[in-house]
Amino acid sequence: MSQRFSAGLARLEHIGRLAEDAALVILLTAMILLAVGQIVLREVFETGIIWADELVKLMVLWLAMVGSIAACRDNRHIRIDVLSHILAPWLVATTRVIVDVFAAMVCGVIAWQSFRYLQLEIEFADTVLVDMPAWLAHVIVPVAFALTSYRFLVLVVKGIREFALGKHRNVAE
Amino acid sequence: MIALSIILVLLAILGAPLFAVIATSAMIGFHREETDLMNMALEIQSIADLPFLSAIPLFTFAGYVLSESDAPKRLVRMTGALLGWMPGGLALVALAACAFFTAFTGASGVTIIALGAILYPALQHDGYPDKFNLGLVTSSGSLGLLFAPSLPLILYGVIAEVSIDNLFLAGIIPGLVMLLMLSGWSLWVNRGNRQALSGFKFSKLGAAVRESIWEIPLPFVVLGGIYSGFFAVSEAAAITALYVLLVEVVIMREIPLRELPRIMRASMLLVGGILIILGVSLASTNYMIAAGIPQALLALVAGLVSSQASFLILLLIFLLVLGAILDIFSAIVLVVPLILPIAAEYGVHEVHLGIVFLAAMQLGYLTPPVGLNLFIASYRFEKTIMHVYSATFPFLVILMMSVLLITFWPELSLWLVPEP
Repeated sequence: MSQRFSAGLARLEHIGRLAEDAALVILLTAMILLAVGQIVLREVFETGIIWADELVKLMVLWLAMVGSIAACRDNRHIRIDVLSHILAPWLVATTRVIVDVFAAMVCGVIAWQSFRYLQLEIEFADTVLVDMPAWLAHVIVPVAFALTSYRFLVLVVKGIREFALGKHRNVAE
Repeated sequence: MIALSIILVLLAILGAPLFAVIATSAMIGFHREETDLMNMALEIQSIADLPFLSAIPLFTFAGYVLSESDAPKRLVRMTGALLGWMPGGLALVALAACAFFTAFTGASGVTIIALGAILYPALQHDGYPDKFNLGLVTSSGSLGLLFAPSLPLILYGVIAEVSIDNLFLAGIIPGLVMLLMLSGWSLWVNRGNRQALSGFKFSKLGAAVRESIWEIPLPFVVLGGIYSGFFAVSEAAAITALYVLLVEVVIMREIPLRELPRIMRASMLLVGGILIILGVSLASTNYMIAAGIPQALLALVAGLVSSQASFLILLLIFLLVLGAILDIFSAIVLVVPLILPIAAEYGVHEVHLGIVFLAAMQLGYLTPPVGLNLFIASYRFEKTIMHVYSATFPFLVILMMSVLLITFWPELSLWLVPEP
């Protein structure tokens, strides 16, 4: 049972990573093409797509959010990294678990609050990009924070497990 | 309230992700002002309202692609052909190549990894002392910070609402001052070993030009486009990204297509990390402005210093401490909105403030306890941190002197900036 569970979890991890990579590749490629296309349209054809600039800006938001989920998976969020070079490895591992629990809670709160805001946007039928519902553009915020929260919890569980197995030297990395 | 702040600072020092700490302080602030916490979403979404921000993912990606290709090697050979004939040539080559590469890749630590790996053994081979080489390579990793189109310059422009074009102009002379002072010092240290890398040969330059023929137009298109006002910085970034992609993947074929998702991911991890801090900082800044924190800070500073010169001294001390703790990107989004109004009160030009801010924060890459370059170099060249500290120290002193010069001689920054 637990074996099947962890196999399922591993598959979930794999799918998650693929989804992040796919989203990043599509967003970044589309952003490059759209931005260059807009310059070509302006300079060569003296025209332009009205919503292109706004779409590029929304893509920045999406890249930021997906990038943040991915950064969490690879444990690359920016931290003040002083103590890990000074303290004993087991102490570093312990503090990492504490601060990651904190981060998971904060992301959970932001996910919930931005979900509430999203509901409001749906209710008021806000729009972006001429006439697209705004919530479609902004749905990434609660989703990203919920996933980031989950990822921090995974880091916590991993940290505790490695600690229990006495592998805490790896955690300090 | 004070207890909560202490807990937050403690969590940050213990290594909590900075964005979570900043978000919490913003939410506590909202709660106190009886603002609905829902506004966090509004603030984070306003990442999409900031102008020119797309330049950050685009330049970062272009920089990662360049550093994974053989462009660093070609850059070193090119610089070698141009500067190698001078005595102590290789040290100068190293400084110039690093500055150029950092400007184009945005000071994210890739310079040390991409160029250091080539330059460090080459310096060794030419008989430069090991400690000098280590210090040189480590401190060069953030040298091009003041040159266009570095990411911190762009980010400062976005946050401070200052013309990015003007910042790009303002950075040129102070950046050159740093470069020249370090070059002078390198020549002085190696006065016993005055061998040139090789004589100047047109054939050598020709070969270097031929192999870099596709990359040579890049700085001219980007910088020319920006400085002439033909492109906005975000457009230049898009063109750079597409051009670099075409050159390194399609024409030179140094990066296989299947590697691109990995490079895109690696670069966007950094971007995600920076922009999420930006998003939550927008929230905390708005709260702090609503709560009158800048005025309170101004009153505090006014009680301490009265003249512009003494304000600048106080600012420098603050920035050096800040730089030792915070990375440059977090420092910009968190601190710039608070010190801008104070600096204005003391008659410090906002463009000059930006240059001083970045120049001082550049030292932060090299100062313990969290200097990023120190750790990258220690890891990359397999030396202890203490060894890297002591090797870098003389370079740090030289850079410190250049920062003092840049701070107290505003004309260095403002000379090229057009009068409004």
